[in-house]
Amino acid sequence: MSPNDRTDPLARKKQEFQLLQDVSARINATLQLEQIYAIALETLADLFGFEHALLFLLDASGEKLVVVASRGYEGHELGGEVPVGTGVPGMVAKKRRFLHMDNVGRQRSYLAAQRRSMVESGRSPEIGASFRVPELDGVQSQIAIPLLANDELIGVVSVESRKPRRFTEDDQVLIAIVANQTASAIRSARLHAELMQTNRELEERVRARTAELETKLQLAEEFLQDANRRVEGPLLGDSPAIVDLRAAIARCAANDDAVLIVGPHGAGKEATARAIHAQSKRARGAFVHVHCPQLTSEDATRLFGSALQPQSDGAAKSKFDLAHGGTLYLEGMEELEIELQVHVGKALQRLDAQRQSGVPFEPDVRVLVGARRDLRVEVQEARFDLELHRRLLRQQIIVPSLRERPEDIPVLAEHFVRRHALELGKDVASIAQPSMRLLQGYRWPGNVRELRHVIERAVVLSRGATLEIDEESLNEGIVFGTYRLVKQIASGGMGEVWLGRHALLARPAAVKLIRTTGIDGQKERELKARFRREAQVTADLRSPHTVQLYDFGISDTGTFYYVMELLSGMDLAAMVRRFGPLPAERVIMLLQQACTSLIEAHERGLVHRDIKPANLFVTALGPNYDFLKVLDFGTVKTTHEDTSEVTLQGAVAGTPAYMAPELVLGKSEIDARADLYSLGCSAYWMLTGQLVFEAENASGMFMHHVNTPPRAPSGVVETPVPRELDELVLRCLAKTREDRPASAAELRECLGRVACAADWTEERARSWWTLHAPDVLSGQATPREDTP
Amino acid sequence: MTTVQMPEAVKPVLNNGIPAILVTCSAEGVPNTTILSQVYWVDEGHVALSFQFFNKTVRNVRENPYASLCVMDLEGYADWVLQIRYDHSETEGPIFDEMEMQIEAIASASGMSGIFVLRAADIYSVESIRKIDGRPSARV
Repeated sequence: MSPNDRTDPLARKKQEFQLLQDVSARINATLQLEQIYAIALETLADLFGFEHALLFLLDASGEKLVVVASRGYEGHELGGEVPVGTGVPGMVAKKRRFLHMDNVGRQRSYLAAQRRSMVESGRSPEIGASFRVPELDGVQSQIAIPLLANDELIGVVSVESRKPRRFTEDDQVLIAIVANQTASAIRSARLHAELMQTNRELEERVRARTAELETKLQLAEEFLQDANRRVEGPLLGDSPAIVDLRAAIARCAANDDAVLIVGPHGAGKEATARAIHAQSKRARGAFVHVHCPQLTSEDATRLFGSALQPQSDGAAKSKFDLAHGGTLYLEGMEELEIELQVHVGKALQRLDAQRQSGVPFEPDVRVLVGARRDLRVEVQEARFDLELHRRLLRQQIIVPSLRERPEDIPVLAEHFVRRHALELGKDVASIAQPSMRLLQGYRWPGNVRELRHVIERAVVLSRGATLEIDEESLNEGIVFGTYRLVKQIASGGMGEVWLGRHALLARPAAVKLIRTTGIDGQKERELKARFRREAQVTADLRSPHTVQLYDFGISDTGTFYYVMELLSGMDLAAMVRRFGPLPAERVIMLLQQACTSLIEAHERGLVHRDIKPANLFVTALGPNYDFLKVLDFGTVKTTHEDTSEVTLQGAVAGTPAYMAPELVLGKSEIDARADLYSLGCSAYWMLTGQLVFEAENASGMFMHHVNTPPRAPSGVVETPVPRELDELVLRCLAKTREDRPASAAELRECLGRVACAADWTEERARSWWTLHAPDVLSGQATPREDTP
Repeated sequence: MTTVQMPEAVKPVLNNGIPAILVTCSAEGVPNTTILSQVYWVDEGHVALSFQFFNKTVRNVRENPYASLCVMDLEGYADWVLQIRYDHSETEGPIFDEMEMQIEAIASASGMSGIFVLRAADIYSVESIRKIDGRPSARV
């Protein structure tokens, strides 16, 4: 008995119930839409004996139905469309209600007759376009059910017959059950399909992202390899200097203490730091490189602040935090403002204390500090924090210049040739012997970095398997006006001093460049203004004891520079540091020369304001030994102008260890006697090898200048200091300028009256230079060994 | 007048797709005959007729609520004649919706939607019903 057999209602109900159970189990067991359609149509046929059925789904626009499955049509209707609101299925979709019609054919016939009648009576324009709805030809009975899931219309099922057929209310309930199950199954299958599609898209995105990350990782590895190659380069060689350096690196790598790495520009300080990191137990951690001169005050406070107070969760990480478990390399520490150096010192102190406690902590960072200058000078002149310096001195590495390890030049050069040839895909195997001799004979002011650049250029230009070095490339230097920069001689608060050579005259000169890196626009303008003033003022002075200015200007890159006479010798800061205090008679002779320079400047209404040993340069000029030149009129001012015009906004001009009290106190009227105070401080240094006052920072030094009575030089050293000179120095150091000599001329005259004034002879001077610095006499010494 | 109960047997005949004949009469006694495509079974005592475009019929029914309806049973070879009385009109609700949906389903596919517009479902009470065997009016 089939379910549509109406003779036994009870049996029919049982069969219907069984059928519904079956369809429920089958339709919910699959997520394949085609299977769901087939089960739904088959069930309707079994329940009601319909041989034809169509399953429509609402398309994405929600405006039309599309046939997705059929039964009894041999697939002819698949893909057929009907707008929502048209025909039986369209009306069911529109009204979302069941519709049963058992006289479709007759109703159509009646409508057709009406239509013909209208056409015959000329009312055709009132008739709209007819639409061919997918359905069974000659259909008489039709039942259409909306497929609703969670009140969402999914589609319509239409079952059709060519015979008249009526449905009971029970039939309608059954049809509704099947339709609901079908709709629910279709919805689940669609959601599953959407999820699968989303999953595929996500997988595709993950694949794409993974590929992107792999590319980035590959790049990172290439960068790392490049960094390693850079590490490798400068440390290659077998010279005693590099062997010692490698041994020092190994020693430092074995502990976690801070290391001070000192060396000239381009010698390999960063390579040394990286090598320490790579050989240490922190090798798998990060190596974070911080260029201190580029740090703003805010950056530096945040950087070192996080070492003292770890960042809370969610806060932006500082480089200190990022270096946790690794190494932080602070390059150019000497350029950091002294107030911020104090932070570094505190950070190191905290790291030491935490390590000693043995308890894990964050950020656990090993700090390496790079400096291009000897920090002792900076400390003496109160530009570097004493406590930090003491802490750093516990472990110091000196990186030798390339000039100190010439035997390494061939191996370094060949290494760079191989590396750059490989990078450029060139077949360059060796360096021609004459070229190698050229490389070995060159002074390499830019050290290993310059060697690498020279080789890079040569490899780029090479045409054969043997590399030729053009001699010109070694002397090329950087062009500033009519001068080429050959090598850096010194660097200081205001900038750098380079050995330069005139392009046509071949005359050597000192070229001073203003440093603007890491300086904001306002400060840069102020610095340049100060630089320009120095150039203009110096150019106007004619004293032989004032450094001569050849030229000044602004380069194509905006760097301000001036060209001075090149002096062979050393400044008094370096001289005393190397050879100890000077005899009184020599000090008198040098002070007199300084006075001669200042007399002219003061007569023109100019105050130097930065007189100090580092700005008093002693040279051999022709037959004259111990010939003194006053340098650096960078902080000069006229006695008529306001101090603020030539000093950096918010800063005090001058060097703390040598500043007159009135300069410290910021008094507006500064006169020549401020220079005499500084000269007194310089005399003190020359006679004793010590500063007038010792302080841990600039503020402490300022306090001493204003409040502390100085001790007489004779009370500080055992070497004899004539009483008159002792008193004269103390007069210069008087807190009140009225108590100082009235002028440089008066001071020079007083110095001449000291009993031993004439005891320092030309012969003694020549002997001293011959004995202590013969290279200066031969003109081969570094023109200026140190710098303010 | 009292309403009678229609027999179950007339139910399949009412809306069998064969036009029915409706006779109305004006207040002056002038009769009018028209053809209906659909007669709906509302309950045992009521039928619903579609009010589409029968201006004269409507006017008559509003003046004189009594009418005569003849539906034909081709399979049973008989006519059913119903005496009916106009009760009220519905422009919404399940009866109206069902009638409108059936009309629109057919008309929409043949471009007749704008013409076969259901204005109201007019509900009539059945006051008498009579079967006339062997006389299917459709043969006439």
